[in-house]
Amino acid sequence: MLKTITFTSAILLASSVMAAEFPIVGQVSSKCSIYTDTPGVYGNPTPDKLSTAPTDGGVLPIIRYDVTAADYYLAKISWPNAFTSSPTLTDATDWDGEVEVSNTSDAGMSGYEAAKVEYDNHTEYDMSVAGSTWFSISSTVLYGQGKSLPGGEYKANVVAECIAE
Amino acid sequence: MKSLYYGLAMSLFSTMLCAHEFTPTYPKFKPSFIDDASVTTMKLWNKRSDVRYYEVTVFNSEWKPIPFATVHRLIKLGYNNQVKFDIYVKNNNVRNVTYICTTSKQLNEDVKSTGVKSRICSKVK
Repeated sequence: MLKTITFTSAILLASSVMAAEFPIVGQVSSKCSIYTDTPGVYGNPTPDKLSTAPTDGGVLPIIRYDVTAADYYLAKISWPNAFTSSPTLTDATDWDGEVEVSNTSDAGMSGYEAAKVEYDNHTEYDMSVAGSTWFSISSTVLYGQGKSLPGGEYKANVVAECIAE
Repeated sequence: MKSLYYGLAMSLFSTMLCAHEFTPTYPKFKPSFIDDASVTTMKLWNKRSDVRYYEVTVFNSEWKPIPFATVHRLIKLGYNNQVKFDIYVKNNNVRNVTYICTTSKQLNEDVKSTGVKSRICSKVK
C-alpha cells in the first residue's frame, strides 16, 4: 500500500514539474535615440559664402530620431549660429538655416512639418507618433560686405536634442 | 540596381554607426546610502563612432543647473559601449530636479564640416 502511494505521488509530482510554465518576460519602455545619418559638408559657391545646400556644392546633414512610444519626447534641433573652429575672422558673419522633416516611417507624422515651432535658430517638433523621423538641416553663412572668407577649415555644430515631456 | 543596393547598404551601415541613447525616460530618485542624498541610476549607450565623450548635466524646470554628484561628469565611452551610473542629489534639492541630460562632446579632429551635437534629456516627474 505504502509503495503504491509513494509511486502515485512520484508520478503526480513529476507531472506537475513537467507542466510548469516558463514565461518569457519583456518590457517596452519609452526611449529616444538620435542617429547622425549623414554628416553635413559646407560648399563654397562664392568667395563670401558657405552653404550646405546641394546646389551650392554642400551636403545637408541628416539626423534621425527614433522614439519607441508616442507623446513622450520633444525634438529640438538648432542650426549653427557660430563656427566651432575656423580661421581668424575680422568681419561679421551672417547665419541662416532651416530644419525640415525629410522622411518619416509613419504616415501619421505628416503633420510634423506644419506643427513645428521655430524661434531663433531652434526648431521644435512634438514627437506625437512612435517611429523614425529624418530631419535635414540647411545652414548658410555670409561673410562681411563682399569680403572673401579666409582660406582654411570651417566647422560648425548642429545641435539635436530629445527632451522628455 | 547596383547603386540602389549600395545606397541601401550605406544607409544601413551609417544608421548602425551613429546613435546616442539615454534611459530611463522618467527616472525616480530613491534614498541612497549617503546621508541627506538621494540617488537614481541612468544608462547611457554610445552607438556614435564619432563621439567618445558625454557630459552629464542636471537642471531644474527652468533649465538652471542643479548641483549633483556622480563618478564622472564627463564620461569616456567607447563606440557601442554602454554604462550605468548613479546620480546623487541632496535631499533638499531633489524636488527641484526636472531634467537629467547627457550631451555628446566631440573632439575637434572628429568633426567633419558640420558636426552633430546630440543631447538627450530624461525628465524627473
